[in-house]
Amino acid sequence: MSMNQNTSNHLWTPNRREFLYVGLVGTVGVTMSDFFRTQARAEAAGASLKVRAQSVINIYLPGGMSHQESFDPKYNAPIEYRGPLDPIKTELDGVMFSENLKETAKIADKITVIRSMTHGEAAHERGTHNMFTGYRPSPALQYPSMGSVVSHELGSRENMPPYVVVPSLPTPYAGTGYLGSAFGPFALGSDPASGGFSVRDLTLPGGVDVKRFEERRAMRSAVDAHFSALEKSDALSGMDSYYERAYAMISSDKARAAFEINKEPQKLREEYGMNTAGQRMLLARRLVESGVRFVSLSYGGWDHHDNIKRANERTMPEFDKAFAALIRDLDSRGMLDSTLVIVNTEFGRTPKINGTAGRDHWPKVFSIVMAGGGMKRGHAHGTSDAIGAEPEDNPVTVENYAATIFNQIGIDPHKPLMSPGNRPQAIVKDGEVLKDLLA
Amino acid sequence: MKSQLNRFLSLLCALPLAAAAAPALVDVQVFPPDVNLTSRQDKQSIVVQATYADGVTRDVTGEAKLTLGNAKLAKLDKAIVRPLADGATELKVSFGGKTITLPVKVEKSAVEEPVSFAKDVIPAITKSGCNTGSCHGTARGKDGFRISLFGYDPDGDYQRFTREQLTRRINLAVPEESLMIEKGAGLVQHSGGKTFGAGDELYEAVLRWIKEGAPADVPNRAKVVDVQIYPRQSVLEGKDAKQQFTVRASYSDGTDRDVTTLAVFMSNNDGSAKPDKAGLVTAGVRGEAFVMARFDAFTVGSQVLVVPKGQQFVWPTVKENNYVDTLVHAKLKKIRITPSEVCDDATFLRRVYLDIIGRMPTTDEVKRFVSDAGTGKREAVVDELLKRPEFTEMWVMKWAELLQIRSSDQALTFGYKSALQYYDWLEKQISQNVPVDQMVRSLLTASGGSFENPAANFYKVERDTLKTSENVAQVFMGMRIQCAQCHNHPFDRWTMNDYYSFAAFFAQVGRKSGEDPRETVVFNSKSGGVSHPVAKKDMPPKFLGAEQPDLKDRDRREVLAEWFASPRNPWFAKNLANIVWAHFFGKGIIDPVDDVRVSNPASNPELLDKLAAQFTDYKYDFRKLVRDICTSRTYQLSVVANPSNQDDTANFAKAYVRRIRAEVLLDAINQVTETDEKFRGLPRGSRAVEIADGRTTTFFLTTFGRATRETPCSCEVKMEPNLSQALHLLNGDTVNQKIQAGGVVRKLLKEGKTNDQVMEEIYLRALGRPPTKDEAAKLTAFFTEGKSADQVLNDIFWSLLNAKEFVFNH
Repeated sequence: MSMNQNTSNHLWTPNRREFLYVGLVGTVGVTMSDFFRTQARAEAAGASLKVRAQSVINIYLPGGMSHQESFDPKYNAPIEYRGPLDPIKTELDGVMFSENLKETAKIADKITVIRSMTHGEAAHERGTHNMFTGYRPSPALQYPSMGSVVSHELGSRENMPPYVVVPSLPTPYAGTGYLGSAFGPFALGSDPASGGFSVRDLTLPGGVDVKRFEERRAMRSAVDAHFSALEKSDALSGMDSYYERAYAMISSDKARAAFEINKEPQKLREEYGMNTAGQRMLLARRLVESGVRFVSLSYGGWDHHDNIKRANERTMPEFDKAFAALIRDLDSRGMLDSTLVIVNTEFGRTPKINGTAGRDHWPKVFSIVMAGGGMKRGHAHGTSDAIGAEPEDNPVTVENYAATIFNQIGIDPHKPLMSPGNRPQAIVKDGEVLKDLLA
Repeated sequence: MKSQLNRFLSLLCALPLAAAAAPALVDVQVFPPDVNLTSRQDKQSIVVQATYADGVTRDVTGEAKLTLGNAKLAKLDKAIVRPLADGATELKVSFGGKTITLPVKVEKSAVEEPVSFAKDVIPAITKSGCNTGSCHGTARGKDGFRISLFGYDPDGDYQRFTREQLTRRINLAVPEESLMIEKGAGLVQHSGGKTFGAGDELYEAVLRWIKEGAPADVPNRAKVVDVQIYPRQSVLEGKDAKQQFTVRASYSDGTDRDVTTLAVFMSNNDGSAKPDKAGLVTAGVRGEAFVMARFDAFTVGSQVLVVPKGQQFVWPTVKENNYVDTLVHAKLKKIRITPSEVCDDATFLRRVYLDIIGRMPTTDEVKRFVSDAGTGKREAVVDELLKRPEFTEMWVMKWAELLQIRSSDQALTFGYKSALQYYDWLEKQISQNVPVDQMVRSLLTASGGSFENPAANFYKVERDTLKTSENVAQVFMGMRIQCAQCHNHPFDRWTMNDYYSFAAFFAQVGRKSGEDPRETVVFNSKSGGVSHPVAKKDMPPKFLGAEQPDLKDRDRREVLAEWFASPRNPWFAKNLANIVWAHFFGKGIIDPVDDVRVSNPASNPELLDKLAAQFTDYKYDFRKLVRDICTSRTYQLSVVANPSNQDDTANFAKAYVRRIRAEVLLDAINQVTETDEKFRGLPRGSRAVEIADGRTTTFFLTTFGRATRETPCSCEVKMEPNLSQALHLLNGDTVNQKIQAGGVVRKLLKEGKTNDQVMEEIYLRALGRPPTKDEAAKLTAFFTEGKSADQVLNDIFWSLLNAKEFVFNH
């Protein structure tokens, strides 16, 4: 082990305004040529990458969904471990889900369930950091979220913002981290399940038609030219790129229509469920269909310390219905193989039912789902032990999880990005692609 | 701008000869300042550093002549002094015609130092990297073996090495076959490979300890009390220039020890200055690095600047308005950067208005200032603005963020009433110019009912003892001590002992409900403590980084406050001065301001020290500090770069553009469009800066990153642009509706102003300057037949409010 390797996580203070400029006088670490050499190496290594997923829908269940009451029921364990819910059969031979996943059980043959996800962070924010960035939290460096890395690496497509959060930033760790400010997510700002849902400020204000808007644009560029010539900085170029993106969205009917959930047939909306889970997932599908590369949506509160039976009954069925509808919908449109759908949560819950009939935080083993985007159809990867306390085989680390996601969307997980002080950081540190999951 | 650039370039070209002559030697320094040898094995390495007229330093240890006064007492082994016999003599070091004399003292030269686990073995395994976070120091250990991270728990580590695994890690019969030797030397399968080898110092230290029976340390062994790294600063010229470092530890028994070979060296920028294991630093590309040495629980650092070889650089004559400029320029000279020119009057006025009072200057104010031909008008406007009530409001807002004034939806926890009372109290402190030290003492020692004494809300907002102490360290000292809750901070000086004994000051804060259940009464409960989770003992209160006070049965917080907000606390004034500085430059001298640590050093330590000293001298009146900053030439620099400073982001060689923070931006839009806003709890027309409660917000404020005040972190205020901001300014109701509702253009036209005059007026309002000729020409072209002038002018107004020049302070 080398000293440098160990210190690299702690030494620098993030200042994302600085990092973009390779060749700083103040803090030059590597030269341009060093950087591009490393990059070229990484690109050569990634040349064989096969792009399987055109986009990612990341469904985040905040609070820590219990693995026992979802994808990994411990129906043979003693009652205090087994919990209050019954297992049900799924389309996958020998694989049981918990009883509130009735619809998902029917599409189990289309998804990959991972029952051996593991990390060591039992605090919500730290676990969330792991799952959104692929890194353990560091006090010295803010890591970018996977969505921001995708935005940085792949950019915009069809006038759509590359990275969208539904309905709002689910956690501070869904942000740009050390990457420049231009790679942050676009937040809808309101919930697609609410009655008069619309995304603010996408349409021109009253009295301003396209022609007048074009004139305004021309005026603005006349007004802006003077200042643009004065100074370059990350914040200024970030602002410019957002204005460009805004112009593109405003002038594209198709792009704006992506946010209009009421363009979906009522029947389909109801299949997803007229609730937050259903409408957020449906909108996510609309967004990736229109060119968004990475959608992060959150649903429900899963921190079930008390009465897990009732809490699960209140939260799970809507998720179940929506998720199954999403998979079916994507599949019927021929989009499932090009859309990686992830169901994740910051950790699982304690093997034993606690004194208030709930379960507490448990990061050592828990369950997630990865479907489509080149994942196997109908597969259960890894197992937890008899009481759901430790991974029994094929443990999946955060790094391997992240590496697999990046790999599927066509980004070399080992490629270095530039962090403050011009220190290269691998997109994922020491993560390996989980080949067993791939179709 | 171009002409400035040309002038600069011609200046560079005109004076190449001046730089051609070899710079004169101006100083020679020898490190450490004295030599104290206290056992037979003791030694001291010497480093000689020469400084030249151009600021460049060279390691001249090998070229200097070293002579001992009395060769019978000590001997020289290259640049290492070793003992021979007891007595006192001196070491003469000569270089380039200069001679420096160091005192040399030799004691106990016949006495063999006894072996010690903590003093010899722990440093050896630390230097070998065994106990790092990625090896056996991680919480769960590696390959079945766990020791404390960087050796923070030597007693526990002693047990682990000597007792675990049926003592197989040490073999007293055949010491060389001890597992810890075989693993470390890579003689048996070891995931960490070979970390030391037979014959080297680390190997020998461990082997000697086992050979002597792996003894436990005597109780009350001498502990490290300080570590010093020399030289303190180096300016290396050209790639591959080298500088050797020497590191010395001081112990509680008064002895010192050369630990250069035992310290772990790191750099925060290997590309510019890379240390090897022995502490020899090699220069790389141009830049700035901080070389650190870690030994025991101490990490110490030294600034290393690397400048290109043979670069022609002539420092231009630049005016120095005050000490700020003197110290900023001193640094810029060393790194061969020329500061930008001073910005023009209009730019200065807009900048200083936005920074000091959070408002745009009115068109009259701009015109008056620009046409004023008098000298000293910039100083005068700073003085004038400091007296305005908006200055108070700005800093009440900033303090409200640090103190997390945000109501909870549970009125009994910290309700809206409490938030208002706390805010009003704060407002009173700032408007009456209560010295900051006094204000902080009031907060730390606050007792009684939170309705009667709103400062007591400090203990209502945060009720957890450890969190309270973390917040106090972060807000008032700029230090994040959280890491030390679980392990000694690896890149800072904080140990778990420091952490828990600092927290102990807050362990006896009693809280009970007042008559009104929304009120909390804070009192001294006179009981309770904080327990160290490893040592399992109650920790006595000890100042962070300073002494353990005599409590004399007083309220622990009172004892703390006397030290805390005083010059005895070396970080208090520095941190506040840095917070003030960062407000005016968008970047702290230590940045971020609340992450002060050894491995995040000040870009200009001399400047920060001086600002802190001034702040103390001013009796903590921060208005005076603001005046010094805003009247300095450095604050008044233009954003326009020159070739030498275009990449500068840390040395204040030019002005940095900063997006205007959410509240100020919204107020500015209201001001220039002559519209207003209604916020919860405030009369219509109040400014966003005046919002008392962190929970009160609007779509605009949230979108532009208003602090939620949920944590005291400086990162709460978000200045990054995003897509929603762009869309909102383009299409949203703020800009579009306010331009309509305010009717500024209509009003001006009604007054009989021409299109050009209206255009000039709205330019002055939004940007604080008239349009350039080019802009005027381009915009005039939009007035075509059939279009109403009103609409075109409103659209120009819209463009101005969407311009980067409006949204940024520059």
